[in-house]
Amino acid sequence: MKKKKWWTMGRRESLQGYIFVAPWVIGFLAFTLGPLAFSLYASFTDYNITSRMDFVGLQNYDQLFTGDDLFWTSLYNTLYFVIFSVPLTTIGAIFISMLMNQSLPGMRIFRTIFYLPAVLSGVGVYLLWMQLLDPGTGLVNTILSWFGINGPNWLFDPDWTKPSLIFMKLWSVGGSMLLYLASMQGISKNLYEAAEIDGAGAWKKFLHITLPLITPVIFFDIITSTIGSFQIFQEAYVMSQNGSGGPASSMLFYNLYMWIKAFQSFDMGYAMAMSWILFVVVLIITLINLKLAPKWVHYEGDDK
Amino acid sequence: MDMTERKQLPNKQERRKPVISNNLLRTLNWVLLVVGSLFLLSPIWWMISTSLKPMEEIMQFPPTLLPQEWHWENYVHTWQSAPFTTYAVNTITITLICVVANVFVNSFIAYGFAKIPFPGKNLLFTIVLSTMMIPGFVTLIPQYVLFAKLEWLNTYYPLVVPALFGSAFNIFLLRQFFRTIPNEMIEAAKMEGANHFYIWRKIALPLVKPALATVAIFSFNGAWNDFLGPLLYVNDESLYTLQIGLQVFKEQASTQWNYLMAGSLLVLLPVIILFFVFQKYFIKGANITGSSSFDK
Amino acid sequence: MLKRFCLLALALLLFLTGCAGFTGGSEGTQASEGKTEDGKVKIDFWTFWGSEIRRPVIDKIIEDFNNSQDEIVVEHTYIPFGDIWTKELAAIAANNPPDVVINDINATALRGQEGQAENLAPYLEKDDISGRFYENLWDTTLYEGDSYGIPFNTDTRLLFYNKDAFKKAGLDPNKPPETWEELEEYAEKLDKKSGNTYERIGFYPLYGVGSDVWLLNGSGMNYFNEDDEPVINSETNVDTMEWIKSWKDKYGEDTINRYQSQIDSQQSNPFFNGSLGMMANAATFYTQIRDYAPDLDFGVAPLPEKTSGNGNTSWGGGFVAEIPKGSSHPDEAWEFIKYLTDKEAQEYWAVKNFDNIANIEASESAAASDELSEKDQMVYEMAAQNLNETLLTPMPAYAPDYVNLINPQLDAILIENKPAQEALDKAQQDVEELVEKTAQ
Repeated sequence: MKKKKWWTMGRRESLQGYIFVAPWVIGFLAFTLGPLAFSLYASFTDYNITSRMDFVGLQNYDQLFTGDDLFWTSLYNTLYFVIFSVPLTTIGAIFISMLMNQSLPGMRIFRTIFYLPAVLSGVGVYLLWMQLLDPGTGLVNTILSWFGINGPNWLFDPDWTKPSLIFMKLWSVGGSMLLYLASMQGISKNLYEAAEIDGAGAWKKFLHITLPLITPVIFFDIITSTIGSFQIFQEAYVMSQNGSGGPASSMLFYNLYMWIKAFQSFDMGYAMAMSWILFVVVLIITLINLKLAPKWVHYEGDDK
Repeated sequence: MDMTERKQLPNKQERRKPVISNNLLRTLNWVLLVVGSLFLLSPIWWMISTSLKPMEEIMQFPPTLLPQEWHWENYVHTWQSAPFTTYAVNTITITLICVVANVFVNSFIAYGFAKIPFPGKNLLFTIVLSTMMIPGFVTLIPQYVLFAKLEWLNTYYPLVVPALFGSAFNIFLLRQFFRTIPNEMIEAAKMEGANHFYIWRKIALPLVKPALATVAIFSFNGAWNDFLGPLLYVNDESLYTLQIGLQVFKEQASTQWNYLMAGSLLVLLPVIILFFVFQKYFIKGANITGSSSFDK
Repeated sequence: MLKRFCLLALALLLFLTGCAGFTGGSEGTQASEGKTEDGKVKIDFWTFWGSEIRRPVIDKIIEDFNNSQDEIVVEHTYIPFGDIWTKELAAIAANNPPDVVINDINATALRGQEGQAENLAPYLEKDDISGRFYENLWDTTLYEGDSYGIPFNTDTRLLFYNKDAFKKAGLDPNKPPETWEELEEYAEKLDKKSGNTYERIGFYPLYGVGSDVWLLNGSGMNYFNEDDEPVINSETNVDTMEWIKSWKDKYGEDTINRYQSQIDSQQSNPFFNGSLGMMANAATFYTQIRDYAPDLDFGVAPLPEKTSGNGNTSWGGGFVAEIPKGSSHPDEAWEFIKYLTDKEAQEYWAVKNFDNIANIEASESAAASDELSEKDQMVYEMAAQNLNETLLTPMPAYAPDYVNLINPQLDAILIENKPAQEALDKAQQDVEELVEKTAQ
């Protein structure tokens, strides 16, 4: 009798829920939690990877907040990058997927072309962009000059280095295009046909049908690209002078500075403290996003 | 039935106006795509052109837009500069396992987060998300030590085993898609006595095919382009992957640009072909979103 | 359909896990074993020399070593530049390192302090090979008097100049500039303008090297004095920065930037077609001229002196062979390092790669080697001589990342027109604070 009451439908369902998420929990406990806990502890030490790990209390954190100008520079650079690149790439990706979500001649080829830059990765691509962005002979400024525009000094002008990287990011926006396409393909054609009967134009259809129905993916894209943008590293490492974030520290991003501390000065404890500060910053932003989500993210499947 | 009828309903007069403006829009759309493609392809064009030049020409100032002579043999030379065939086999092995594991495991986990209520779900999901927020290289050393303790160094286990337990990015992505499945459909199946495993396999998975295709493509990319992972965990050069192989063209002070670009393009080719072929899974995806309002 | 797919996937997984990468590789983890079948000790040697030019050379040296004795077998693994040290560090942390690694000479002392490399003093006591090497190189490997890595190769900065351009500008092609003042004079003559744009730039100090090289050249010392105190805002340094700035003002931002990223990305080089009259660069830049612009008539000279008698101090770097902490066969590793830095191997490396090496004797005989062409010999000899005046910039153990505090200030002078004195004062203050903090 008692047992039966305990074993309700709800509990049975919960159990199934736990089984579904169990693989992740197991993986987390086995492979991720340990290293995370270690790095949290090490952030309170002078850990140097190989020979030293003495507890120093809050010294690393104290030093970061009160005695390290480059920390603040790197934080500023990273925020600048996040604030511009996240909205621009999101809007860009939605726009391109709108263009792609049609049946036009050659669409498969167009989709492939637009997706292509997203799969090109590695150091070669960044070196390629250094060529393209060359102020004198690079392709970008050559094209600008056809329109009578005197292109900027891109990677040599501290005011233009971050825009250069944002520009590069926009080039490879085809990656998130994929997400939006997948989401748009799921939208019933009937909805559009019904709207057409009501005389809705393309813009109206986008605003009232497409946009609300892809909000779950927009939400996903914003959260993940925010997290990703905060961790921008390799672009700056390859494209800045000596990999040190120059000119004038304008490409010294958070993770680049952290990398220098960890693997060039071997001040790993300090780097780990930095990473936990970043963690808290990103977590707060994500939590705010999660809180705001119900106001604008529309899950068709949820009960209203 | 009801829907096909609706399609045939409007008469010619009613439809004419949108058709004209549609044609205009389509042309504009097409022009935009062509211009965009040219812009996106220009760096690729530069890569192709560089890959066909001899080094003497690459070093010329100012740079030439087209190769003066087309050195197709650069591609053969590139492939022979390192055991690239072995590297390709290795890369394919790792990539296939990662793709299969990612699609299955993540869709399983994501369904749990999207459609089954259980206590602590929100907290757990926040933890899932937060694993993405810690920069990889602070856990790099402890993780390496962990895999060393497991005696997994110099094998592919560190590269594929974690994939069997899901990744935050893919879980989150698939969760978003599962959540768009109408709850009524799931409730209806439950009424008929189906458990969630059955619903996941028979109802939910077929409905999110475009998203599964996306995860497949993303994880293919991720594994195919992974550089640091294989580099850290593999010691035998016979176990190296394509991305490591490409590095032989870069010395600390000079780069063999033609071979590096030829190699990069060769490595890129399978990804492009795969994407081109896989596209039909986007198109074929079931119409879930919004259909509920019609089904009712 | 789904079921079939599942089965297929499962079969695939099973099949793939049978592949090489899942059976522990052909040799398993290194620490556990270390003997070949015939009882020889196997040592692991990591380098970043994987290109078709360098790899055969180092492989030949290893082969020769393996054949020269019958106790040790060296196995070479190529790991890409830069990442090799991340991996080495992880391997040390996991107590599973290789036995010999090629590492950056400038970080050797720091690595000694951090306990990443084995102290080589006990081996040096038995066979002291320190005399083999250029003094500046050797000193850079010392931490508290003990060496933590044996110098292997090095480099140095020289002035390359275009002889044809010299002739056309009415300059004597066999008389390169000797002082900064002459450098300016010559550049002025080499400049060629059509309308408002330069067809040829005579010289720009930051093509090929950084401001730090000129600071070194001007002051004859690096950023720290003998008492390990930072000397950044000295009068001569302020002067040097102002001098560099004057070059930038002379040509203007647009002209300067026209070539800069080409040079930075090591592609199409304006020096090759005469668009740039003179250029400071590493001695090995010669191999690029030889291979890619064989018709260019050029000369090499030491970097000019700031003023007559000030000295042609140049800047260099290099690599050492070190034994990572925790190596399972340090004695055998030492035997191999001795071979690697001895005359025979060093000369072979120098001649085959046209690279500067740390061993003085080998360096001198390489310069006269029959295997080099006349032009090769000329440049090599110049470089070898220059090594005596070449300073390194080791990362001091008490302020490892000090350059990150200096570079932004140097940029500020050149880009944001910050007065040199003010910028260097700030750099001085920042580095002093860093040293003080690390001392705590």
